[in-house]
Amino acid sequence: MTSAAPSPHDLELLSITKNFDSFTAVDSINLKVGRGEFVAIMGPSGCGKTTLLRILAGLETASSGQLYIRGKDVSDVPVNLRSTRLVWQNYALFPHLDVAGNIAFGLTLKAHDKAIVAGKVKAMADLVGLSDLMGRKISQLSGGQKQRVALARALVTEPDILLLDEPLSALDAHLRIRMQGELRRIQKQLGMAFIYVTHNQVEAFSMADRVVVMNKGHIEQIDAPEDMYARPKTEFVARFVGTNNLFPGRIQEIGHGKAIVHCAHGQVQVSTDDPPPVGTGVFVVVQADKLKPAPTGVAGENRLEATVRGREYAGSHNIYLLDLVDGTEVKMTLPQVLPLEINQPTTIWFSPAHAALIRGAA
Amino acid sequence: MATVSKGNPWIFFGRLWLGIAYAFMFLPLAVLVLFSFQKNRFPGFPLQGFTLQWYDKLFSDGTLLNALGNTMIVSPAAATVATAIAFFAAYAFNRFTFRGKTTFLALVTLPILIPPLILGVGFLGLLARIHLSGTLFAVFLTHVVLITAPALAIIQLRLAQMPASLEEAAWDLGATEWQTVVKVVLPFAMPGIFGAWLLAFTFSFDEFIIAWFVSGFQPTLPVAIYSVLVAAIDPSLNAIGTIVFGISCLVLIGLELVLLPLLIGKPEKQS
Ligand SMILES: Nc1ncnc2c1ncn2[C@@H]1O[C@H](COP(=O)(O)OP(=O)(O)OP(=O)(O)O)[C@@H](O)[C@H]1O
Ligand SMILES: [Mg+2]
Repeated sequence: MTSAAPSPHDLELLSITKNFDSFTAVDSINLKVGRGEFVAIMGPSGCGKTTLLRILAGLETASSGQLYIRGKDVSDVPVNLRSTRLVWQNYALFPHLDVAGNIAFGLTLKAHDKAIVAGKVKAMADLVGLSDLMGRKISQLSGGQKQRVALARALVTEPDILLLDEPLSALDAHLRIRMQGELRRIQKQLGMAFIYVTHNQVEAFSMADRVVVMNKGHIEQIDAPEDMYARPKTEFVARFVGTNNLFPGRIQEIGHGKAIVHCAHGQVQVSTDDPPPVGTGVFVVVQADKLKPAPTGVAGENRLEATVRGREYAGSHNIYLLDLVDGTEVKMTLPQVLPLEINQPTTIWFSPAHAALIRGAA
Repeated sequence: MATVSKGNPWIFFGRLWLGIAYAFMFLPLAVLVLFSFQKNRFPGFPLQGFTLQWYDKLFSDGTLLNALGNTMIVSPAAATVATAIAFFAAYAFNRFTFRGKTTFLALVTLPILIPPLILGVGFLGLLARIHLSGTLFAVFLTHVVLITAPALAIIQLRLAQMPASLEEAAWDLGATEWQTVVKVVLPFAMPGIFGAWLLAFTFSFDEFIIAWFVSGFQPTLPVAIYSVLVAAIDPSLNAIGTIVFGISCLVLIGLELVLLPLLIGKPEKQS
């Protein structure tokens, strides 16, 4: 790459692939991460998230593909010379060093001036809120404090990119939410690109600029959280993200910004600017909170006859399980103030504007 | 518990049994120390009064003391070299998978399984051929071969407790392989290394059979004691025994303080 103009990307992956013997853990991943961007990676267990992070860190060598950091090809740069830092799920702190020693570790390797090291360590401790614990042993820290040390130890070396592998998964829910806010604040303050692996959807969607959903080693979709949530592009994402209902069907008619889809339980209308051709197999995706009890006595589109089968209590709202006439199961969330009776027939509906189309059903 | 045990005869017999067992273990030692300070030529009662003559004899004669000196050169040196070899071998076994790993491990452990008598004869033949037999250096070499295996076992035990992510974290933060070994692996393994050294030292310190074969005119302490014993019963042996006992006590206390907490697991303070 030419060195003249600085790359607009902190990180660029070109068809990165990793094979373990005959098993492909990471399958031609393409991803560009902008300057100071916060990218969350989600996906089921074993889909290759950790392997991908380890490739970025240099702990694992990609079987093929190119990797650029700020426009520079780093495929052959060994782990200790990469400008990335990894934050481990189990923190991987050095047990024989105290908090200050752990934070200073990366700096002392380069034999900096002692006073400069001490100054940087102190500034970083202030940033992550560890100033009072500098002399503590690692075994005397709580989970949240260990997490901060791990973060400070990585950040103080001023990497180009910080890689985090489920950094908050060992913390309780309350602490996790607090740390989410702090991580986001620190990330903004430093303007550093974060690649953040998590199993927690709420975490990914609330923190990230963009979310990556992985499945079996490849990327299913990359999008801003709102777009990923509202417009999943594949069946996998639709089932993985949020609580969606998927109705398999076939395009019957298109036009006027709408598509009419023939499903097992009848016809539904979906608003779309870019409908697939007539005859294509599709899924109609409707989020559980976009289904509503139909107003009585008015005719309209997308009405579904259903029977209420069960109710799950979920705090401020209930999740109802309903069966359509053809036996399809449907999930619908309703506020507590709108109760439905179990084992009663009812009519529900959704607006064509609230449904999305995914190609795929045979 | 103490109140309950008072009435229970089994507890009483248990304690008695324990007392007898301890007496069997420590009475000979007590007798040894006692008679090293008595005028009696043969250990027996009545006591004939306090004296330092055996220590005097020991220090003026010099044979046993010389041997102790030899041992105090050979054993620490052999323990140090063996521990160093053991550390790097344990590190390699822990970190890498390579062809012939199990074979190699078996080969390292083999010397400890072969009867020392056979090893001794073997060493003697080999060392004689390369003109090293009968020297202190020969004892040093054979002891290194012998005590590397137990040292390796202890250090490996410790290194196995080290999560792989610890080394990876050091690399990730910019450390070279060597910096990582020095700054992370070595401090982590230190209790194991320390324990391994003490154990190796003790092994070498009282190893008799092989030393008897190869030491020649530079006997180590166990060999010298044996030579004195076959000649006559000399109370100087009690004196050297007492000195050795003192040294062993120091080493054993060190072992207990360092090795036992390592094997049983240190109770970690929680905040
Ligand atoms: N060193 C290895 N040798 C062989 N297979 C491996 C190795 N490391 C990982 N794998 C396999 O690669 C796949 C991806 O593993 P990875 O750890 O990246 O998953 P993950 O997405 O991080 O999962 P989780 O969410 O459970 O942490 C898994 O099937 C795993 O068994
Ligand atoms: Mg993982």
